[in-house]
Formats: sequence, C-alpha cells, structure tokens
Amino acid sequence: MIDLKNVERSYKTGHTETWVLRRVGLTIREGEFVTIMGPSGAGKSSLLNVLALLDDGWTGEFWFGETPVHRLNRKQRAELARQRIGMVFQSYHLLDDLTVAENIDLPLSYKNMPTKDRAGMVAEILDRFQIVAKKDLYPNQLSGGQQQLVGIARAVVHAPQLLLADEPTGNLHSTQAREIMELFRELNKQGTTIVQVTHSDENARYGSRILELRDGWPTRDEQVLSAATEAQ
Amino acid sequence: MNTLMQDVRFALRQLRKSPGFTLTVVVTLALGIGANAAIFTLFDQALLRMLPVDKPKELVRFEWTGAFNGSESSFGGDPDNYFSYPMYKDLKEKNQVFTDILATDRVGAGLSWHNQAEARDGETVSGNYFQLLGLHPAAGRLFTSQDETAKDANPVVVLGNEYWKGRFGSSRDVVGQTLMINGRAFEIVGVAPEGFDSAIGGFKPAFFIPVTMLYTVHPWRGLRDDLKNHQAIYLTLVARLKPGVTREQAEASLAPLWHSLRAYELTLYKEHSERFAKHFVDESKLKVIDDSQGFSPNRGDLKTPLIVLMSMAGLLVAMCAINVATLLLLRASARAREMAMRYALGAKRGRIAAQLLIEGGLIGLVGAVAGLLLAPTVAHVLVSLITSADPGSEPYSAHIDGRILLFTLAIALVASVLFSIAPVLHFLKPNLAATLRQNSGTATKDSQRFRKIAVGVQIALSVMLLGGAGLFVRTLDNLRNTNVGFAPDHLLEFSLDPGSSGYADSHVSRSVQDSIEALRRIPGVISVAATTDPELSGDGTTNGFQVQGYKAGPDENLGMESPQVTPGYFATIKQPLLVGREFTDADRVGQPKAAIVNLTMAKKYFGSPQNAIGRQITDGDPEKDGWSTIVGVVGDSKHLDLRTLLKSAVYQPYFADEHPNGVEMYLRTTGDPKKAESAVRQTIHALDAALVVDGLRTMEEQMDQVASHEVALAYLAMGFSALALLMATVGLYGVLAYSTEQRTREIGVRLALGAQRSSVITLVLREMVIIAVIATAVALPSIVMLARLLKSQLFEVTPADPVTLMGAVAVTMGMVALAALLPARRAAAVEPMRALRTE
Repeated sequence: MIDLKNVERSYKTGHTETWVLRRVGLTIREGEFVTIMGPSGAGKSSLLNVLALLDDGWTGEFWFGETPVHRLNRKQRAELARQRIGMVFQSYHLLDDLTVAENIDLPLSYKNMPTKDRAGMVAEILDRFQIVAKKDLYPNQLSGGQQQLVGIARAVVHAPQLLLADEPTGNLHSTQAREIMELFRELNKQGTTIVQVTHSDENARYGSRILELRDGWPTRDEQVLSAATEAQ
Repeated sequence: MNTLMQDVRFALRQLRKSPGFTLTVVVTLALGIGANAAIFTLFDQALLRMLPVDKPKELVRFEWTGAFNGSESSFGGDPDNYFSYPMYKDLKEKNQVFTDILATDRVGAGLSWHNQAEARDGETVSGNYFQLLGLHPAAGRLFTSQDETAKDANPVVVLGNEYWKGRFGSSRDVVGQTLMINGRAFEIVGVAPEGFDSAIGGFKPAFFIPVTMLYTVHPWRGLRDDLKNHQAIYLTLVARLKPGVTREQAEASLAPLWHSLRAYELTLYKEHSERFAKHFVDESKLKVIDDSQGFSPNRGDLKTPLIVLMSMAGLLVAMCAINVATLLLLRASARAREMAMRYALGAKRGRIAAQLLIEGGLIGLVGAVAGLLLAPTVAHVLVSLITSADPGSEPYSAHIDGRILLFTLAIALVASVLFSIAPVLHFLKPNLAATLRQNSGTATKDSQRFRKIAVGVQIALSVMLLGGAGLFVRTLDNLRNTNVGFAPDHLLEFSLDPGSSGYADSHVSRSVQDSIEALRRIPGVISVAATTDPELSGDGTTNGFQVQGYKAGPDENLGMESPQVTPGYFATIKQPLLVGREFTDADRVGQPKAAIVNLTMAKKYFGSPQNAIGRQITDGDPEKDGWSTIVGVVGDSKHLDLRTLLKSAVYQPYFADEHPNGVEMYLRTTGDPKKAESAVRQTIHALDAALVVDGLRTMEEQMDQVASHEVALAYLAMGFSALALLMATVGLYGVLAYSTEQRTREIGVRLALGAQRSSVITLVLREMVIIAVIATAVALPSIVMLARLLKSQLFEVTPADPVTLMGAVAVTMGMVALAALLPARRAAAVEPMRALRTE
C-alpha cells in the first residue's frame, strides 16, 4: 500500500543543513498496524508528516498504492490525502467553536458530499463510537479521553484506507490510553491500515510491526507479537 | 510622585521599544487631531470668538421689521440690518439706554501711496467708532467725534493694523502723511490696534474713514446726498448698553422713539397706501440683538459648512481613537504575560490601569503635538478655500493660538482616555494561570469582539464619510457644469474703477471706453465688454421700476436687477439675444433711452419676448427722467450665484449714464484666458498707469469663488474620507492579520483534514464580509438621514443618490478587500505541519 524508496528530508538554517530523514525505505502492506518509535528528534513525526502528505519538502520515491506521490503536485497530493488518509493528533486539535458533531463532519465538508449523506455518516460514527449523547457538546466540555475519541471519530468518519496517529495517547492517563489503543486495534481488525508514532512500548505492542528511527535513519524494522496475539 | 515618574519612564521605554507601533499610532492621531485643530481654528474665529474689544458682551446691534421702500445697499444679509444716516443720528441722540451708538459700512476704494495704486476694502465709520469699542491706537490717534463734523470736511484716515504692517512695514512715520483715496488726499492720523480688524465680523479693512467722507468712495451717494437721505439704508449700527441695562429693557425703551421716528419718515413718502403705513410704522419694531461677535452676514453662510466639517473632523478623531484602541489591544495581547506577571507579583488593578492610562496619555500628547504641527497647513488651505478672499486679505487666520492649543489638548486627552479604556478593561480581569501557562498571550473573546465591533464601526464611518464627500463632490460638479445662461469658458474678468483713481464722472466713461478698445487689440481676444453688476459674484444691484401700462398691486415691489452694460456685452459673455438688438455705440447720453430685459421680465409683464419690444420702463421719475424703450430681450441667466436663476432683470446702456460707476470688464479669448492676464495688465498700465486692474481672474475661477463653500466642503470632505478610509484599512488589516495569526492552529487542522486553500481564504474573508455588510447596512440609511439635514448644501443631487452611495460602498469594499488580501494569502500559505507542531 505504501512504498517509500530513499526518502530524505532536511531543513536549511542559514548555511547549515539538518537532516531529519535519511534514505528511508519502507513498505507498508494493507491491514498492517505499524508503530514508529525512537528518541526525540529521531524523525518520527517528520516521517509521519511525509506519509500524511502534509510535507512536500522531501526527496525520493513515494508510492501510495499504484499512485506515484512523488510525481503529484501539491493539489493532487491534497486530494489524495483528503480521500484516503485520516489523521489523529496528540493534542486532538478539535476546533473549539464547533460541536462534537460539527468537528466530526469537518473532513466530510471538504469532500463536496451532499449534506444528507454527511449527516448519515456522522450519525453512524457517533453511534459506533458511542458518543451520540455528546454530539452537541463543545470540546471544552469533554475529558481528554473523550476529546481524543472524537479526534479518532473525525479521522475515520470518511473511511480512510490509512490512519495516521501522532502520539495519540500522549495527553491521556493510562486507562483512557488503553481504551484508545483498543479502539485502534478494532479499527485495524476492520481493515484500516494504521501507522502510529509513540514513545510507549505498551502502545507499540498493539501494533504488528515496529519501525525504529535514530537520527533520521531507520535502525530497526521488525514484526512484533501483538498484545492480542499474546493474550491468545 | 515617584510611582508616577516610574510609570512615565516605563511608558516611554515601552514606546521606544516598539518604534513601528509608536509611529503608527502617533501618525494616526496626528492626522485626526491636526484636522480637528485646523477646522476648529476657523470654526472658532467665524462662529465662536467675540470681538477683540472692551467688554464685547455689552455690545448690541439693531434689526428692524416692517415695510421699506427706498434704496438699500448692503454687504450681505437682509435689508433689515441696515439704516440711513439720519436715522442713525436720531437714535444716537435721542435714546436713554445706550452709552453710545456707532455706525459703519463696508466700502471699496482705490488707495494710492507714492504713486502705487491698489484697490482695497475699507470702512466708513462714525467718529465715535473706536471710542465706543474701547480701542487704543497702535500709532498716532484714532477718530473722535471731531472727525465727523460735516459732509466732505474730514479727510482723515486710520489704517488697518494688518495693512499698516504689510504695506508700510509698521512704520510710525506714516502718521501725518498723505494717502490718496479715490484721488483725494487723506491725512493718515493713526493705526488701529493689533488684533483688531473690524466691528464687522470676518472683515479685514485696510482703512477707516469718517462716514462724512462717504461721497469720496461712493460719489453716486453724493448725487442724492445720502447723508441726509432717510430712504437710503446702508449703515450697520452697533451700540453699547449702559451698565445694568438688559437688551430686553433697551428694546422696550426704544419702541416709542422708533415709532415716532418711523412716523416722521412716513411723511417723507410722496404717496403710500394705508396698508404700507401700517407696516411701516405700527407693525414695525426695532430689535436689539447681541453683537458680542460682531455683525457678519457671512456667519450664517459659513455656519452649516463649518458645522459639517467640524462633525466630519469629529468622526475622524473618533475613528483615530478606535483605531489606536484596536492597535493597543493587539499589543495588549502580546503583553498579556507581562501583565499577568505584574498581577502575580502583587500589582493592584488601579496601578495597572494608571500605567496603561499614562501610556495612552503619552501617545495622545505626542499625537497632539504632531497634529498641531500639521494644523496650520490644513487651516491655511481651509481659510483660502472657504473665504474666497484674495491672498493676504483673508479675514481669518491660520495661526494656532492659546484657544486652539487648549482645544487640541482637550481633544487629545479625550481621545487618549477613550483609546486607553480598551486595554485597561482587557487587563482588569486577568486569567493568571492560563496566561502564565501559555507561551504567548491569546486574545480573549471579549477583546476579539471589541476588535470586530471597532472594525465594523470604522467601516461604517468610512462609508458615511465617503458617501457624504461623494454628495458634496457631485454638488460641486453639478454646480461647475450647471447652465448659467451664458458661456463661462474662455472668459477673463477684472474690476476697473477709474473713479477710485480720482477721475471725475466725465472721464470715467471715456476711460472705460478706451480700455475696452485697447483690450480688444490684444492678440487672442475676440471681444470685450463691461457691466456695473458683475456676474456670479454674490452681489446684486436692485432698483424699483415702473412699467408703462402695468398697474402694480398695493404692496407689489417692482424691484428688478438693473445692471448697466456696454455694447456687445451679451455677445461677449454669450448670453443669447432672443429678440431685438444689443446696445450700440449710439445708446449714449443725450440719445433716446434704451433698455434690454431678460426673458422672465418680458414674460411676466408683457406675455412674451416679442410683445416686450417697444414697451417702456423706468427706474426713475417718468416726468423728470423719462422712459426707456425696450429694444431687446435676452435669455435668463444665473447672476448672484450658481444655484438660482435671476428673476426680472432690466439692462441699461452704460454709456447713457451721466454719472457712471466702475465696471467689471469681460474679455472673451480664443485660447486659455489665463494666458491673456499679463497682456491685460500691460495694456491697462500702458493706457493709464493710474488705473488699477483689480481681481483679474477667469470666469471659471470666479465660479469656484462664488461656490467657495461647496469647493471647501467637497475638497475637505474628500480629504477626510480618504483619511478615514486609510485608517479603516489599517485597522482592518491589523485585526485580520492578528486574527489570522491567532487562528493558525485552526487553519492548520482544517488543512490537515483536507480543507482546500480557497476554503481557508473564504474562512478568513467571511468574517470580514459579514462585518462589512452589517456596517454598510447601518451606514447607508445614516448617510441618507444626515444628508437630508444638509439638503441646502446639495445641488441637483438627492441625499439618497444611488450612484454616490453605491460608489461609496464600492470604494470601501475595495479597500476592505485590499486590507484582507494579505492576511488571507498568509492564511492560505499556512503549513499544517508547522501549525500543528506546537505540542
């Protein structure tokens, strides 16, 4: 599903060039749950931004399925992301002035879908995530865990093939974190490919594969026995 | 005290720290405060200031009511402001309630000093003029009652202070020397005091002569001996109330005297109806009114334009205050942590408020100083635009005095408090924990709402000012393009008065004739002609006529405009001759009298222009002076000003008058009339060095002069609205730029969730569009409402003129779009990756 070949990313500050990704080669198959780990500054979030098509400044080859992302212009990349990628943030990034339902509707509103269809999809996801009762509340009326739940609902409402999560439980206490990770596993089981960035070994165990980065270089790429498998 | 000094020091440091911000707010305030100071300079002089004389509150003047039938000449205002000399003497001598009464009149004359001739305005005054006003001379002496003894017996002159300074270099040696006035020698006896111009408000005479010397400056008054004539009214009377006497008491006390004097005057009328007698005596009243500001017929005309301009300047300063408040609030957000820290360290609210007010006050003070530097320039432009006087003799000064200084400081203080309130309120309820936790301050919802309202108010005020300015500009444009009944292009004009150079009647018409012939020879001049009654100058000459075969009603006034014109006058100004002929060289003294009338007159008295030809008319005594035969009818024209058509007019041949007056000369040129100006001066000088070419200008310049209030309103309103628009744009930009910055994270999230750049731009603009639409919706009806109040200032444009209003909206919206462009582009360029990297 995802194929990166020799992807590199650097930032220029004056005469200095700082590399954050070096010759990254990575293949992610459909249905995988990949965890990207590494110390701070290793390039985890940078790699996630490349995968999310939020960053245009990289070099190398990037295939999304049969689509050569490296040959697409900015607009085409944005369209691809709109259709096939969902994003979950550590700080949830819900919009304060929108209700839960409106926040979830946001990605659909950018897709030129009929309002009726959108309302149906939002209702379905509210039901699926069991947050129907909260649909008219504003983000500041929710707990952190509830906010992230809404963040995930918003990320998957348009049924993306790839779900990217950047430290999704970073701001949550352990019980809430476990619930969120269970939700990810459930989504993964239902066929969504997931790539998460985390520092947490416990969270990593929910995935099927760990990719470790150090100073921008991939240093480890291995399959893990997931928590589910362990439990079995 | 130490605390105060510390706050001032800190405030100065704050201002120095952000020079860009300081410069922006100071320039904004300087523009608003400077404009206000400038308008107030004129407003104060024209409408508020008292005469610079001793106890001005004791001064009163007179106005009468009732009928009158005689000769009236004025320098503005209604006839009921003017009195005859005999009436003046009677009132002065027989009243019990005044310390004294003075008489004065405006005159024009030719002054000659060391063979340098010039035409200047002056005043004929009673001998007690300066004494009554309590004035002391700057040099020599002022008049006394000994200078008003008998007709032509007092050839003495007091110089106006400004004229003395300008023409004689403030030399005291001029006292005792001779100044030629209309060719007659006058001894300069003294100079009026500094700061005093005249008892007539807004008038700056070059000289004062005793009223007994009236016939020197107005020889025609001598012909009917107006100093003894009860039926010639031309003097303004000013009195000083005796101590303890009120105006009401004075008026009541004067009533019997007034009625007896009027009853006597009635006996001087050869015939009159009973109704006229009732109006003339029984129903007539002498009103005693306040004159602490001096009588000024212009004051009424200036009042509305000045109030409009003052209001516009007030709106402008309000916009400045709002704008500065917005800018201060933007900065306040950046200082949130500083203030939170101060509170956390124990600062009390009062102290924080005081510090912010001191900062505001300092900004206001610097803005006021910068505004005061700007004000004289604006005031000078305003004075020259609105007074239509020749350079150097403007009745108002652009000088900034103590009163203006106080006014400016008051405006600055009010504005400072107003714009400081916003940041003070912003910091009164700090959320310490939240503010200190954040890396940078964020705007509260209250301050965001304030900024939105502020921007809305600024947009609304801009639309209002632009709409108002648009109406005034259209008025001016309509006035300039109005059909005046003749062709004002390619016309040059000037005043020529051989009488003021000392020439006797017999020489005056010869001199005018020679001048016309000499001027015709200038290359590029097609034709030349003259009139005694200049076109579009605001002045008129009305005489009472008798029309043969027409029986006037009991009180019907057959007063008609009665200019004397030279042959070829109508061809020169291109006023169409409808029937008959123009005057020719044959229409001279001793020949059968001819007259030309305008269309309105012909229709009113004869039914049609054709019927008027051959009919007879006179403005004198038919038995003594005979009748004039109508030989032609010309089209109607505008004469006094650009707004109103002249009613009935009877033109008479200039060269048929045995006692001719000075004339206004008109030259039609093939090319630009301006280019003929130097040739005109040279030609007249070569013809006779004693003749003075006065007020040489094109007819189009004259039209702008007669519409000077409209010109001033249009230009200044445009200037103010341009400034207002600029301020609204800057304010709008500030708010949008700031709110875009505040929304960077939101925009980043939206982009990350798939929003297109165009939808982000829409997001940023939508808010502005909503504010702009609401502001416009409020502003448009307000303009229409306000413009209705100013209807008298408009010409051929309605207060709700759709083109003007839509134009104002379009220009404002254009500026809104311009102001929004950069923040919108910046919003569209937000990199979601960076915007979200705040965790």
